[in-house]
Amino acid sequence: MQHDDPIREQAAQWAVRTGDPGFADWDAFTDWLEQDPAHAEAYDRVAAAVADAADAERDVVLPANDAGPAARPLVRRWIPTAVAAVLLIVVTFGLWWGQGGVQTYETAPGETRLIALEDGSTIDLAADSRIALDPDKPRLAKLEHGRALFTIVHDEGDPFVLDVGADRVVDAGTVFEVRLGAEELAVGVSEGLVIFNPAGQNVRVQPGQLLESPLGSKNVTMHDIPLEQVGEWREGRITFERASIAELAAELTSMSGVTFRAAPASGRNEVSGSVLIDPIRADPASLGPLLGVSVRKAGDGWLIEAR
Amino acid sequence: MTVQASSSGLEAAFLENRERLLRFLVARGAGEEAEDVLQEIWLKISERRTGPVASPLSYLFRTADLLLIDRYRARRQAERRDRAWSEVNSGATLGVSDAPLADRQLASRQLALLVKKLLDDLEPPRVGEIFRRHRIDGLTQRQIAAEFGVSLSTVESDLRRAYKALADLREQLDEV
Repeated sequence: MQHDDPIREQAAQWAVRTGDPGFADWDAFTDWLEQDPAHAEAYDRVAAAVADAADAERDVVLPANDAGPAARPLVRRWIPTAVAAVLLIVVTFGLWWGQGGVQTYETAPGETRLIALEDGSTIDLAADSRIALDPDKPRLAKLEHGRALFTIVHDEGDPFVLDVGADRVVDAGTVFEVRLGAEELAVGVSEGLVIFNPAGQNVRVQPGQLLESPLGSKNVTMHDIPLEQVGEWREGRITFERASIAELAAELTSMSGVTFRAAPASGRNEVSGSVLIDPIRADPASLGPLLGVSVRKAGDGWLIEAR
Repeated sequence: MTVQASSSGLEAAFLENRERLLRFLVARGAGEEAEDVLQEIWLKISERRTGPVASPLSYLFRTADLLLIDRYRARRQAERRDRAWSEVNSGATLGVSDAPLADRQLASRQLALLVKKLLDDLEPPRVGEIFRRHRIDGLTQRQIAAEFGVSLSTVESDLRRAYKALADLREQLDEV
């Protein structure tokens, strides 16, 4: 990076000046441009980067805790689901007939699949995940591994019940995501309401909330999350908040199908950020600048190290 | 100048300052496109797609400048698209012919998140706020100085820092 480049410094200075509606000294600006063809190039680079950023910033949804000086209209850009599906859903027929007619659906790392239920509900199964369904009990499912997004048609008299390990999640008209990791369970809700362990802790999880519970524990913690983070992996995106590098490596391996490992000394270091899976799959090293970690090829995979 | 000029005032200003604008466009790196851009500006003002403006000459220069920034952005965007295409066609994701469109949308989403994080993380927090007030909400630098109770030069230097950080980010993303 060229932090000390005087041309770049001047270009930024001019971009600030010309960007103000009151700017009038176009002759001085022309003089500066005429001094060196590199000036126009540097100015274009800064001005374009700023315009790109301003456009992007206009599209981004602010989290609820943003204390901006004034409310501004926000445009939410949705990726059409069909397009995302074309990109992401590499369907494998991971269908096994288990005992008693139970069907198990499984995805390999890097694969996702959409399961349509007869009542119109859908289950988006993320990569490296497994869920069991019983055709005789269409309102019951068991998430055995990984994560899934549930878009459930609500029936007051026959709620949808999801078993996750030893825990139970009951929908009350809703879109929600459940993730069963190696160490904990998380339930995020984007619409409606979910009840966690009605017979136990009986916690209501509302839109914009994320419930986390360590496996084998009765403890439950609640966080606020931006709504668009629920099921965001369907758009090929995944957000980490203070995740350990070990977790980061495991999640990325599942989502991308590319093997990532945490360097032994950095496993516990924490990272935050949002990444797109597809570009990471194409170029694993690009993870480095995105999350501020160092990524290098090691054996058949990629080693992530704290920087 | 506070006199309100009509569109025909803009036309007059254009005709009077044609050479000056051309010189600007050439200095601005328009090269062979300079005459094209000049024509585009003329069409824009002669079709009366603009309301009255306070300072016709500044308006013309600004229009020229923005047109060139747009052209530069379009060029860079096309380069990125070409690169995405060749990546897709290199075999990493066979059979997903619609990927470049989705890639672009995902990439813009990624940029949005990175920009947000960058602006949120700038210190002091005022820097990111001032950038948003100026570039998103459209306040002038003078209005922002009054709102934040700082000098105009502080607003300028804050914006300059934000601009440089965003240029760094863009370069970083284009490198990978």
